[in-house]
Amino acid sequence: MTTVGYLPDDERYAAAAAALGAGPVRTRRFLEGWEPAEAWAALVAGRHPADPDGAYRTKARPPLVDAVEARCARAGVAVHILGRPGYPASLAADHEAPGVLFSLGDPTAADQRPRAAVIGTRSATPYGLGVAAELGRGLAEAGVAVVSGLAPGIDSAAHAGAVAAAGAGPPVAVLGTALDAAVRLSDVQLQQAIADTGVVLSQRAPGSAGAPAWCFVVRNRLMAALAHVVVVVECHRTGGSLHTVKAAADRGVAVLAVPGSVRSSASAGCNALLVDGAAPVRDVQDVLAAVELAITGRPGIVAPRATAPTPAQGGPVPDTPGPAATRTLEALDQDPASLDTVVRRSGLPLSDVATALEELAAAGLAAGTGGWWRRNRA
Amino acid sequence: MLASIPSATLHGVDGRPVAVEVHVSGGLPGFTVVGLPDAAVRESRDRVRAAMSSSGLAWPKHRITVNLAPSGTRKGGSGLDLPIAVGVLVAGGTLPGARVEGTACIGELGLDGSLRPVPGIVPMVAALGCRRVVVPVECAADARLVGGHEVRGVASLGELVGALTGKGPWADRVELPAERRVLPPMPDLADVRGQTVGRRALEVAAAGGHHLLLVGPPGSGKTMLATRLPGLLPPLRQQEALEVTRIHSAAGLALVGGALVERPPFRAPHHSATEVSLIGGGTAWLRPGEISLAHGGVLFLDELGEFPAVALDMLRQPLEEGVVRIRRARRAVDLPARFLLVGAMNPCPCGEGSTPGACRCTDAARARYARRLSAPLLDRFDLALSLGRPEVDDLLGGPRGESSGSVAERVRFARVVAATRGVRCNAEIPPESLDQFGPLSADAAALLERRLRAGALSARGLHRVRRVARTIGDLDGTGPVVGARQMAEALHLRDAGCARAPGASS
Repeated sequence: MTTVGYLPDDERYAAAAAALGAGPVRTRRFLEGWEPAEAWAALVAGRHPADPDGAYRTKARPPLVDAVEARCARAGVAVHILGRPGYPASLAADHEAPGVLFSLGDPTAADQRPRAAVIGTRSATPYGLGVAAELGRGLAEAGVAVVSGLAPGIDSAAHAGAVAAAGAGPPVAVLGTALDAAVRLSDVQLQQAIADTGVVLSQRAPGSAGAPAWCFVVRNRLMAALAHVVVVVECHRTGGSLHTVKAAADRGVAVLAVPGSVRSSASAGCNALLVDGAAPVRDVQDVLAAVELAITGRPGIVAPRATAPTPAQGGPVPDTPGPAATRTLEALDQDPASLDTVVRRSGLPLSDVATALEELAAAGLAAGTGGWWRRNRA
Repeated sequence: MLASIPSATLHGVDGRPVAVEVHVSGGLPGFTVVGLPDAAVRESRDRVRAAMSSSGLAWPKHRITVNLAPSGTRKGGSGLDLPIAVGVLVAGGTLPGARVEGTACIGELGLDGSLRPVPGIVPMVAALGCRRVVVPVECAADARLVGGHEVRGVASLGELVGALTGKGPWADRVELPAERRVLPPMPDLADVRGQTVGRRALEVAAAGGHHLLLVGPPGSGKTMLATRLPGLLPPLRQQEALEVTRIHSAAGLALVGGALVERPPFRAPHHSATEVSLIGGGTAWLRPGEISLAHGGVLFLDELGEFPAVALDMLRQPLEEGVVRIRRARRAVDLPARFLLVGAMNPCPCGEGSTPGACRCTDAARARYARRLSAPLLDRFDLALSLGRPEVDDLLGGPRGESSGSVAERVRFARVVAATRGVRCNAEIPPESLDQFGPLSADAAALLERRLRAGALSARGLHRVRRVARTIGDLDGTGPVVGARQMAEALHLRDAGCARAPGASS
């Protein structure tokens, strides 16, 4: 096999041990105090003390070593062993750091940077996606590394914002799946863009199919371990983001939450966090202040907040809308409303509202998807 | 001795005349039925024999052969009991042949000699060319709907023999009093609180015959709206009413008060419906399916996503042609199936997917749900609406909406306007005539162009939107040109994108 020699021997055997599919704690015990080659030999022979009942012996077959190395070579993945040079310093000190870590990009990119995790639900509202992208961009521009999970929804939006900023803050993505598991083109492209300027991490060996639910719990824990602050943008009452919040609380990492409408179920988790004492996030300045506080122990000096322009002052309105359009615009806000709701709020007949919405959409003042309409930010 | 009694069997929704020939000859006593009878007809041998003995009539102690002519086609149903019995009586010499001259018989016999109703009496009687028709008394009113025959309803074989031999009178029952023909009231649109857009869509669907898709979470009033659609449709015209009555009779549905079906039917099959029950067919006589029973009215498919995908895709051809052509190896029928399709579905398995950010389904579950409906089927809905749950204020204290009666008046007017274009409703305007019947104003054309350029409208969708805009213009009485207001409203009434582009959460 031509890929032999891609990895040094130690990393070959460590990667193979991680590919057995054991949890992060057991993987760590496979390697702690062992030379990787010896640990592997003990696993193959079924006499490793961390595998007392030989459960991993059937999986530990000698060809696995080459197979994992070939997978790493094909995807360009680097292997890091806990306690050795190259392992991300930001993670090495954590008490639950995985024994073996796989990476794409520069694993040390974020070590010297302030880091903020921006996370949230997969089924996000346009409001949440907009805020996530805005925070991602603002944090990256301020030199903060944006940590997220690259899941659809909030995670991807935050990363897309960070990548688009092309600022000083390198993006950091932590995956629950293996690094070569992305299938959708948009996921692959975003992952590549993150690896170009930052790093994509996973504790799961390349070639591992799928990911059991615990992999995402581990992923969430790693994000909390990496970040100086955790920002939850949108989260349902029982969302997976709460795993990250719990892990952050265990580590004393500050949790911030973006408030949302009390009627939006996608904000129910965030609003509950605020009640429980999470700091509210209005804009990127709030996050930067919290990062500053987390790193220095002192409240940061934040530039005085500029008064936000209200939509009415927000520049000239193209094609001054007619009275029906004005009333329709007043009936819209930034939460999507069904056509029926817009008609009821405006008190206008449907044909007037329909015409007005077309005008507003053409002028860029309103946007609609699937029969739900909202006001664009001025 | 030979006798031939005219009768009929069902074939799809049509009657087929059948001559029941009975021959009684010397030889060992026996009873055979030939001429491709099905199981129900073969069993009639035993019913006929028992019925005659219960009625005190002698069974000829000879060899009896019954032939059902034309003998090449398969015959089914129990309606041939009576003609077989009468034929045996004539051929056996009990009844003089002259007495039954020009008399057709249809009916099922009970073992006690009583006569039982059979389905499909209307098309079967319509297929008969003779002067007099004897039917079970319960079917007499239905049989009279056909007109042109002297219809005799009898309750038992004994009564019929008495009347034919002149020993007793025709025991014609008194005509049913008029009040039995009063139909139950239909649900009124005034009961619907809020739902301005849903009500408008219903009105447009009724006026233009546009298929309607309602997408919304549980409890958003999809079923409530759909059940009020038939009340907005104009009553069936004479020709349609006859057609619908024949179909309903053929399927064995009770005709209310023995009158023509004048109210547009409303059929709402459960989503466990099989393909044959929806489309029609089956072994007995190619029974009309739900789509034919909804002919002239509304076919409401609640929980559209739960129907078998194969069955739904079978709707596509009838939706285009208004007729379903059922072909089997031995038989072929064309069943009328011109109906207004109303589909209702949840946006996703959890039901909350139409509200942005509220859905808790996985991407895979949403994609699986969306795959159940094929794009060609979705494309056939002219109106697609995303419904939200009604506001609490509307439910508790909101004003009653406009009643079905006044909306139906506008619908009737719009249909009259549509009729001047030579079509039954605007949904049937051919694409090439759209420019003639619904020319676009410059604003409306610009609006359409913007949607087309944004890729939000397909070529087929373009025609459908133009037809809907034409209907809106007819309803509002805005003249021959379709303006921007009508076009904008038409575009917004087919905006329920969740069903079309699942997973697009942003």
